[in-house]
Amino acid sequence: MIDESFREDEILGKAYDARLMVRILRYLQPYAALLAISLTFLLLHTASQLLGPYITKVAIDRYIAGNDPAGLDWMVGAYLANVLLGFVFLFVQTYTTESTGQRAMQDLRIEIFTHLQHQDIAFFDRHPIGRLMTRTINDVETLNELFSTGVVGLVADLFIVCGIAAAMVWLDWRLALVSLAGFPLILYISRFYRRRARDVYRQSRLVLARLNAGLQESIAGIGTVQAFGQEEKMLARFRSANTEYRDVLLRSVRYNAVFFPLIEIFSALSIGLLLFYGGRLILDNAIQAGVVVAFIQYIQRMYQPIRDLAEKYNIMQAAMASAERIFTLLDTPAAISNRPLAKLPETVRGEIAFRDVWLSYRPGEPVLRGISFHVAPGEKVALVGPTGAGKTSIVAALCRFYEIDRGAILVDGIDIRHWDKQALRRHLGLVLQDVFLFSGDIAGNITLGDSRIEREQLLDAARRARCRFRRAAATGL
Amino acid sequence: MALPWLVKGGIDAALYGQPASGSLVKFPLLILAAAALQGFFRYCWRVNIHGFSRRCEADLRDRVFAHLQRLPLSYFNRVKTGDLMSRLTNDVQAVRELMGFGSLAIVDALVVIVFSISLMITIDPWLTLWSMLAMPSITVVVRFFGRHIFRWSRHTQEQLSALSAFVQENLSGIRVVQAYAQEANHIARFRRLSSEYREKTMWLATLWGIFWPLMQVLAGIAATIVLWLGGRQVLQGTMTLGEFVAFNGYLAMLTWPMMAVGYVVNSYQRGVAALERLGEVLDTPVSPRYRTAATPAGRRMPVPPAVEFRNLSFAYDDGPPVLTGVSFKIAAGQTCGIVGETGSGKSTLAQVLLRLYEPPDGSVLVGGIDVKSWPVRELQRAAGFVSQDVFLFSGTIRENILFGAEDGALERVEHAARVAQLLPAIREFGAGFETTIGERGARLSGGQKQRAALARALVKDPALLILDDAFSSVDAETEEAILRALKPAMRNRTTLLIAQRASAVRDADVIVYLRAGAVIEQGTHDQLLKRRGAYWELYQKQRLMREVEGMIDQDGLP
Repeated sequence: MIDESFREDEILGKAYDARLMVRILRYLQPYAALLAISLTFLLLHTASQLLGPYITKVAIDRYIAGNDPAGLDWMVGAYLANVLLGFVFLFVQTYTTESTGQRAMQDLRIEIFTHLQHQDIAFFDRHPIGRLMTRTINDVETLNELFSTGVVGLVADLFIVCGIAAAMVWLDWRLALVSLAGFPLILYISRFYRRRARDVYRQSRLVLARLNAGLQESIAGIGTVQAFGQEEKMLARFRSANTEYRDVLLRSVRYNAVFFPLIEIFSALSIGLLLFYGGRLILDNAIQAGVVVAFIQYIQRMYQPIRDLAEKYNIMQAAMASAERIFTLLDTPAAISNRPLAKLPETVRGEIAFRDVWLSYRPGEPVLRGISFHVAPGEKVALVGPTGAGKTSIVAALCRFYEIDRGAILVDGIDIRHWDKQALRRHLGLVLQDVFLFSGDIAGNITLGDSRIEREQLLDAARRARCRFRRAAATGL
Repeated sequence: MALPWLVKGGIDAALYGQPASGSLVKFPLLILAAAALQGFFRYCWRVNIHGFSRRCEADLRDRVFAHLQRLPLSYFNRVKTGDLMSRLTNDVQAVRELMGFGSLAIVDALVVIVFSISLMITIDPWLTLWSMLAMPSITVVVRFFGRHIFRWSRHTQEQLSALSAFVQENLSGIRVVQAYAQEANHIARFRRLSSEYREKTMWLATLWGIFWPLMQVLAGIAATIVLWLGGRQVLQGTMTLGEFVAFNGYLAMLTWPMMAVGYVVNSYQRGVAALERLGEVLDTPVSPRYRTAATPAGRRMPVPPAVEFRNLSFAYDDGPPVLTGVSFKIAAGQTCGIVGETGSGKSTLAQVLLRLYEPPDGSVLVGGIDVKSWPVRELQRAAGFVSQDVFLFSGTIRENILFGAEDGALERVEHAARVAQLLPAIREFGAGFETTIGERGARLSGGQKQRAALARALVKDPALLILDDAFSSVDAETEEAILRALKPAMRNRTTLLIAQRASAVRDADVIVYLRAGAVIEQGTHDQLLKRRGAYWELYQKQRLMREVEGMIDQDGLP
């Protein structure tokens, strides 16, 4: 029983999409100052990281080789100061980045939730709840990761790699050339790896979605499963998805196991080349030993971003997919637009008129065909008829849960399309066919959190609905 | 591991003038060989340990799921779906990280630490001692932050699940929210929850933001010590420059394992907490219904079975009693109608009969023996059940009808659908029985869902049919049509028919009237009418209502 509906979730597009990125960045705009601080400290931290090996180099070449203990003490002091400053820089950068991301994501989350609250019921018929939840919670979380790890991480990596390359060239261009010789090959290998990793990642998400959908369903329907004795069947179905998921991930384990050690080997190769060539230069007295030492430290630092590359790529890709889905959702206009008249009656008398009302849930399949009737204020009207006759649909149309195709519904002589949706519904008391209660206490369910409802009103309503709760006396509502 | 050592050789060779360029070639080559060897071992480790952790993850998930399937329903009333989902996804993942990354990192770290330190000692024991001074403080920092980070990550996780639960509930009840114009209210509540989540996340970020840089500072202090003392030794000529560089190299190699310790502590604590949460699920005893292995004398369920409730009293968990002293019998092949107000305990009767909830010993008898003596398989095979709140699975109509059936011949599906009066509706769908009905049967109307559930129960041709208010969303005429179609096969099954309408049960062999969990009347339709009691009252009221409806119909409501 695979629901085709969650396939949409699995489309993973590009890792970078300028149009989406611009739109994501718009959410950062209100926090531009915070972001600027974050980027400044990112730069400072990068600089401090570049400075460490350089101080070592100077200490070795100028003071150790130059036999100057006092100078060495100075260098040690500078090194320590650099370490401590690095701490401050990194902390400020981490904190501001996270803060920016979290604030922007909260705005986005609230925007999505608000958007959902104003969709018509037809929208909820089309979109399974699980998927909408993924939009509001998981997709936003993924996008947040894009900020804290993805984008800022990539910028940091870029700074570091460029900074190191620049520092190397500045120290000694010949050694820089030797050290960076392996770099293009590494980039090629990591591209190859990235492609594999991406395929596995895509597939794993696909299987995971199926796994989770099955999981949710079998927990929600556990009563039915147990009553029908289908525990084994559900388990077998779960097991097949579970095994498939495991096997996909085992593939990724193998790719990783090849790639990461390979990077280590390349790093060692670079150092070997450096030593060989650097050693000759030292013998020729062309450079001092400290330069080689600094180079070794730089090379070790340079390979870190490459190790993380695939992971960051996956984060970027997942985030782009999440963004795409979130924006698609946000771009779905509320099918029922709210264009209330300027003046609405203060009190509602409760006169209802249906004039040739047509309604269909799916195009071409009308459930109401030309309904017309009139209800005077204070009148009690019963709607009867077999199932599927359209009783609930009349109520749904009156509540404006669905937009009618043709005709008009008037409340107190005013077309409901000119009523403020919420003002209209506030005057309706509706008991639905499928009773839905919220978790929490009984009072919360009766008032639905409407603080304007007084306690007396609440108790009166409960009495009239003949709510007799056996334990109500002990705990109150 | 040999890398810094070889670097030392390389530098010393270059500096202290072994003029043969042979050694200049030798050291880089040795470095490469050492790296290749290390790479090979790392590959083996990774494949084995990560692979192992993935397999464990799948096994663990499998085990928890299998256990979950057999937990008593009262457990699912207590624990939210979202919470269980998070245990099966996030917690299982946390355990995997502990076993995979955690164990790999700790092994890797230990090996590197042991080798680095021993090689450092061979270069200069005193310098090693001095540079290691900062190390105990790393342990202290890791312990302190580990504890707090763990606590706060738990808080944020809980807040995130609260947020998810709120969204889930809001979306499930969106009709109610909109009908009562409570959107703004719910948005405000969402905003509050979301802000709380952000604040908690920021605390966590602050802790991490101090923790990582602090680790780097401690590593940096060690490097400072080496630069200072080591530099002096080189100046004094007690250490070669190559040794000094190698020493620095080892120290740099130690930085990562020290941080890995931090990582591992974190993933260890999360993993243990996750294991604890999974343990909670696994330690919850399975429903007693799965513990009965076989009937005493290997008896088979008679077809149809007789049913008896013998002085049955029942309460959910430690709630108030729902049923008190209920006693009545249904002879094999008879139909028993049960009526009564909402909350009178009708559904509970059906649920204890199926042993979805556990009745006291000897109070519910099926086929002459305690329902608790039947192996659950036997009971499930015999029973067909339509519950009050119908749950359908995503998939096609056919798959749903065949949910509990052993074999799936199309005629049987069609027959069941015909009896349940679902066939006309199915014909209207383009794809017929192969129509997918969406999550929880979203494409079907309330009445269609109930009729699909009825077909699902009937396709099993059950010896014991339990209909718990199965016609609530079906109008009186359809109800009658269904009952008429059910008749021919009725003789061969015992039926428990719980209904709101007296008209549904009037043909039953025995009718039981429940009020506040006790039987107040029982007998046949005619007997009960003669008594002029509660059943008579209900019957009169409903007949009157139908007549009014009939009058309105004749008047031709516009």
